[in-house]
Amino acid sequence: MTMKETIDEIRNQLDFEITKVNSLPELDQFRIKYLARKGIIAELFETLKNVPPDQKPSLGKELNELRTHAQNLHDEKKNNLESNQSSQSELIDITLPGRRKWIGSLHPITQTLNEIKSIFLRLGFEIASGPEIEDDYYNFEALNFPPDHPARDMQDTFFISKKTLLRTHTSPVQIRVMEKQQPPVRVIMPGRVYRNEAISARSYCLFHQVEGLYVDTNVTFSELKGTLVAFAQQFYGSDLKFRFRPSFFPFTEPSAEMDISCFLCKGKGCRVCKYAGWLEILGCGMVNPNVYKFVNYDPMKVSGYAFGMGIERITMLRYGIDDIRILFDNDVRFLKQF
Amino acid sequence: MKISLKWLRQYVEFNITPEELADKLTKAGLEVESIDYLGSKFNNFFTGQVLTVTKHPNANKLTVCDVNVGDSNIAIVCGAPNVAIGQKVVVGLAGAVVPRNQHDPDGKAFELAKVKIRGVESNGMICSEYELGIGEDKDGILVLNDNVTIGIPLAEFLGLNDIVFEIGITPNRPDCLSHIGIGREVAAALKTNYKLPEVTINESSSSIENSAIVIVEDSDKCPRYSARVIKNVKVQSSPKWLQNYLSAISIRPINNIVDATNYVLMETGHPLHAFDYDKLNEKTIIVREAIDGEHFVTLDGKGRSLTAGMLLICDAIKPIAIAGVMGGINSEITDNTKNILLESAYFDPRSIRKTSKQLGLSSDASQRFERGADPNATIYSINRAAQLIAEIAGGEIQKGIIDVYPKPFTPTRINVSLQRSNNILGTNLNVCQIIELLESINCEHQVAEKQNAEKDIVTFKVPSFRPDLEKEIDLIEELARLYGYDNIETKMQSVIKFTSNPVQSDIVDEMRLWLVGRGFNEIVTNSLQSKELAYLSSSEVVEVMNPISKDMAAMRTSLIPNILEVVRNNIYHQTKNLNLFEVGKTYLKILQESENQKSDENYKEEDKIILAKSGIANFPNWAENERNSDIYDLKGEVEDLLLKFGLDKYKFIPYSTTKALVDMPVSIEINQIEVGYIAKVQKQMLKQFDIEQDVYIADLNINIFKSLSKIEKKYKPLPDYPMVLRDLAFITDKVVPVSEMQGTIYKAGGELLRTVEIFDLYSGDQIHSDKKSSAFTLQFFSEDRTLTDVEIEKIINKIVEAMKVAHNAALRK
Repeated sequence: MTMKETIDEIRNQLDFEITKVNSLPELDQFRIKYLARKGIIAELFETLKNVPPDQKPSLGKELNELRTHAQNLHDEKKNNLESNQSSQSELIDITLPGRRKWIGSLHPITQTLNEIKSIFLRLGFEIASGPEIEDDYYNFEALNFPPDHPARDMQDTFFISKKTLLRTHTSPVQIRVMEKQQPPVRVIMPGRVYRNEAISARSYCLFHQVEGLYVDTNVTFSELKGTLVAFAQQFYGSDLKFRFRPSFFPFTEPSAEMDISCFLCKGKGCRVCKYAGWLEILGCGMVNPNVYKFVNYDPMKVSGYAFGMGIERITMLRYGIDDIRILFDNDVRFLKQF
Repeated sequence: MKISLKWLRQYVEFNITPEELADKLTKAGLEVESIDYLGSKFNNFFTGQVLTVTKHPNANKLTVCDVNVGDSNIAIVCGAPNVAIGQKVVVGLAGAVVPRNQHDPDGKAFELAKVKIRGVESNGMICSEYELGIGEDKDGILVLNDNVTIGIPLAEFLGLNDIVFEIGITPNRPDCLSHIGIGREVAAALKTNYKLPEVTINESSSSIENSAIVIVEDSDKCPRYSARVIKNVKVQSSPKWLQNYLSAISIRPINNIVDATNYVLMETGHPLHAFDYDKLNEKTIIVREAIDGEHFVTLDGKGRSLTAGMLLICDAIKPIAIAGVMGGINSEITDNTKNILLESAYFDPRSIRKTSKQLGLSSDASQRFERGADPNATIYSINRAAQLIAEIAGGEIQKGIIDVYPKPFTPTRINVSLQRSNNILGTNLNVCQIIELLESINCEHQVAEKQNAEKDIVTFKVPSFRPDLEKEIDLIEELARLYGYDNIETKMQSVIKFTSNPVQSDIVDEMRLWLVGRGFNEIVTNSLQSKELAYLSSSEVVEVMNPISKDMAAMRTSLIPNILEVVRNNIYHQTKNLNLFEVGKTYLKILQESENQKSDENYKEEDKIILAKSGIANFPNWAENERNSDIYDLKGEVEDLLLKFGLDKYKFIPYSTTKALVDMPVSIEINQIEVGYIAKVQKQMLKQFDIEQDVYIADLNINIFKSLSKIEKKYKPLPDYPMVLRDLAFITDKVVPVSEMQGTIYKAGGELLRTVEIFDLYSGDQIHSDKKSSAFTLQFFSEDRTLTDVEIEKIINKIVEAMKVAHNAALRK
């Protein structure tokens, strides 16, 4: 047999034998037989030394091609075998649950507060805060609640001492902000407040408020309405109806309470809105000129508005929660719903 | 405040539905909280007349009656023995709910429907007084007087067809605590008029001057005291109409004298008091301050210990009433009372409020006086009451009124600037509108002698029943209210401008989100706790003077007890694997209070973030074994949190002393500043909270965290040359801390050694029982060249040598 014939035969042999290879060990046998350092093809290269010089180039080329061919056959088979093997040995039951991690949650009060904050931040408000253990001066007096005034009865108070108390609203932060800063002042003041009331489904000894204050030249009641309606439409949806009712807070005048049409029954009347069709969402008003005297603002030069809303109340309305206490129970089954 | 619409109609006319009226009042700032249709339980009951009575064809004891119910005649099957032709009766028609079923042992209500009774149609029911709930007679149907009109609704017939509003009156509006007060507001809202009842009095010839003396010792606290004497009254029940009015607004009728004073109180808003004249020593009224420790029994039968400063109404020798708050049992009107002295006074609001607060005693009278009554209403009210008493209790009204009023009230005058009003409200009102609006609530426009050139200022005289109107802004508020909040344009016109304060992102919000992503549930808990718990963590506890309960008598000094309570409650509900955090404050007293200090100098509120982990460490899955959380889980969370916020120079250092509530506390320090600590909760604490599994906590101080954390980010170029990794394991005594080994390795490794991380810790069969093997991955690279094996080997030899010297460590092969 000439060398050329040998090469052709081996090529045929290769083509045949590779079809018989059905496993990686068999393939390894194949590799050792043909491609190893002492395999058939390597041996043929050895015999190349003995062929006449004029045939060397063409035979050398043929041999190289043979080797490449063998290598290709091997590699291709290897790929096939490996992919087959993986799909066979790694039998996957995709109905099994994946390896999961714990899922955390933000408390619903935080979520509501975050949304309220984001709306007012977009309107150009800053955020301020103040202490919960507060002076009578900031909580009442500077907010135009004179000593021994019946208006103080509106807010049952926890006292720490004769002149120190747990703030009953976030409004004292208004005074603290105005003491430090000249107009324009445009801030919201979120925080925890306390009321000395029996704990029930409707009231807890503490809750959270967001207070707002805007003082500048030419701030009007009309502007107050505009801002709060813009807020409410962002928060509750643009199709809501609203109304402002006259009310009374010593530190604002005129004062108002803002109602929105009940978003659960669309104003038709339901249990949540107590069949009134309206939900009270916040109190507001124009800053009473008496308040400016406590912070050395000139009531003839500036005007402003203030508002305050209860976060728990808004959260409860929003999610249809009918007992405030569940917010403070922190049952994980409850928390995970948010 | 309850307002009867029937009663209200005496003073103002309105032709709108109760709902429309409620809406008007609500929009005027008098929030109608509920509407009660008193007669609604008698819907579908009418008066009727029995026209014919025939025997029921199929039942002996029943009759079939033809009954005229006004607009029609209907057939009713009746079982009553006393039914007879011509009787006026009460008929319930289909749909009526009979309040009590007399065949039911519990007397339950039931609804009527058209039915066939033994084959004969019955269209309603003739009722007994038991069935209607207006009497106890079950023996037969209720037979009315012959002169009753037929076809009128039962509620109307009984005088119960009233509608009652519950109105929330804000503390600034004492003038609205009466039917006339609400009538005035209705008139203003509807742009109509109201009228006061006319009062005419027939006085006897004998003068009050001869029957009583009034001495006011403290005219600051009692600026006005008016009195009348009525003799020979007959104390008995009030007439039905008066009882109905009072019952409608939930005031229990007592007797005609007391009812008359209550009626006038609810009509005019001015509190009155009637004394039994014959029980007054020397027929003298002395208004004076109480003496400390004086004792007095009020009308409710309770003994009261009085203190100096409280105002008393006394006779010549003893107190007979706590002024403006409550009368005394010793001078109360009884069935035997013959002669009365009526008091109509005006007391200083602050004095009344103080007394009422001190005694914990509030009454209809005190509520009005402390908010501000009308000093000019005493005479009208006392005359109105005298007239009413004469009408319903007989008696002779003594001639004249004693009226001690040394300093008559001067009406408040307020200047209103048109421009300022419009500037504050954002309206465009003109002078005429302002005058018209304010005059509708009885503020008289004063024509100035010298008219202001621009007519910007208008002066108003405020009526004496509006003590809340003191300043311009008060009238501007009234303008807004009367003009209608709805009519003020809703617009945002302000220009957004940034103040000089730079916007800061809130790191706490970011920490929250990070922890949520790590699988923690945020909790929000009470900041009040029991003193016992509070003192466990600190001796500087802030105590509450007037707590709701012992459980909430102090401000919390640590967030641990709260989170343990949450852990306990969740375990109770079978949620045993917990990852919780709370952002909250703790409160400490730092200084004894002194008068001239502000509270924030005396108390410290610290912002904290607490993490707790308990139960299984990782979310359970089918392929891996469960493992309980331990201190390393929590340490890992804290390390990641610190690294996330740029705090990489932390050290965990065990406390040398004990710490409240926890075991094995480890302080977290950055540049020698303690940011917080991690620890395992004490067994004893867990026991106190009935928790049977371990709880690990981390407690971080947010403000310190914030002050140290570097949010500012700076780019560091990535290395150009490859990095080389080498693993080394050392066998040492078990007690050698890993962090010390790391320190040694770093030091010996020099600047080319970048990180040293432990990847395995082993103790067991293959090595001596006192030893452990610690395996580290070392990372090397250089910024200016590719490191060679020779270089690395040199460094590693140095490290091995150093480990040997420092820790007697042997390289594990």
